[in-house]
Amino acid sequence: MIKKLATAILLMSASSALAVDSPIQGQVQSKCSVWTETSGVYGHPLPYKLSTTPADGGVKASIRIDVAQADYYKAKFTHPNSFSSSPTLNDSVAWTGSTIVGQVSVAGMSAYEAAKVTYNNVTEFNLTLAGSTWFTVSSTAQYGSTKSLPAGNYTAIIKAECIAK
Amino acid sequence: MYSKIIIALGFVFCTSLNAHEMTPTYPKLVPSYIEGVSVAKMKLFNRRNDVEYYEIGVFTNNWKALPFASTTKVIKIGYNKAKLFEVYIRSRDVAKAVYICTESKVYKSTEQVTLISSRICSKIKQDK
Repeated sequence: MIKKLATAILLMSASSALAVDSPIQGQVQSKCSVWTETSGVYGHPLPYKLSTTPADGGVKASIRIDVAQADYYKAKFTHPNSFSSSPTLNDSVAWTGSTIVGQVSVAGMSAYEAAKVTYNNVTEFNLTLAGSTWFTVSSTAQYGSTKSLPAGNYTAIIKAECIAK
Repeated sequence: MYSKIIIALGFVFCTSLNAHEMTPTYPKLVPSYIEGVSVAKMKLFNRRNDVEYYEIGVFTNNWKALPFASTTKVIKIGYNKAKLFEVYIRSRDVAKAVYICTESKVYKSTEQVTLISSRICSKIKQDK
């Protein structure tokens, strides 16, 4: 009897049940992420024209910018004014393009469109609110006055930048 | 109901998202182990599956390139990987250095497309 009691007391004192807090830690810091959601595709509606407009058979580029903290960054988009690769072209190319605000995660971001600054082929947006903003970039190239573009593949580069203020 | 779920699942699985991130937003230059050279520690995160290389650049307030040193000026980084890197700037250039940037290097495409090059610039925190 005494042996059994001693064993039970020993077991109770030896096995300790410990409750330990296991914290999950995280850090929110200001940062900007540039998400390339859709690369644009040029449609070829006319012999002399390449365009990302859906009506012309193209696809506009869509870029999302996420900022974790308000008013830390500005976004800058440069639509193409030359081909990065193409067949040899003997005449000039007339470029047009634009960047507009698409979807927004916070209603107030819609105001970015009215406040944007445009110069040359660059469009700047002041990212005053935290969250995600989708930007749509379009590009059109017209060869010569109405000359036919030589056959081949054409590639142009859109530059999306997030710059700390 | 089911068609909506199928469309939503299709969107989730078929849309590939790609991102470029760099922190901190405001790096601080501190003296390095080399006399007359300051260093900033940066972290690059590549979530672009179409990009493997990022070029580092240091610029003035007017976007004039400044000389700097790092283990490599073009970082090779895999998809969904983060990389820490250090940027060394001569002390005499510290006052002029304003931005540290990383820019994606896109592959030459054989399709009729617009490629997207991303660049993120952090602003150096200057001690007053």
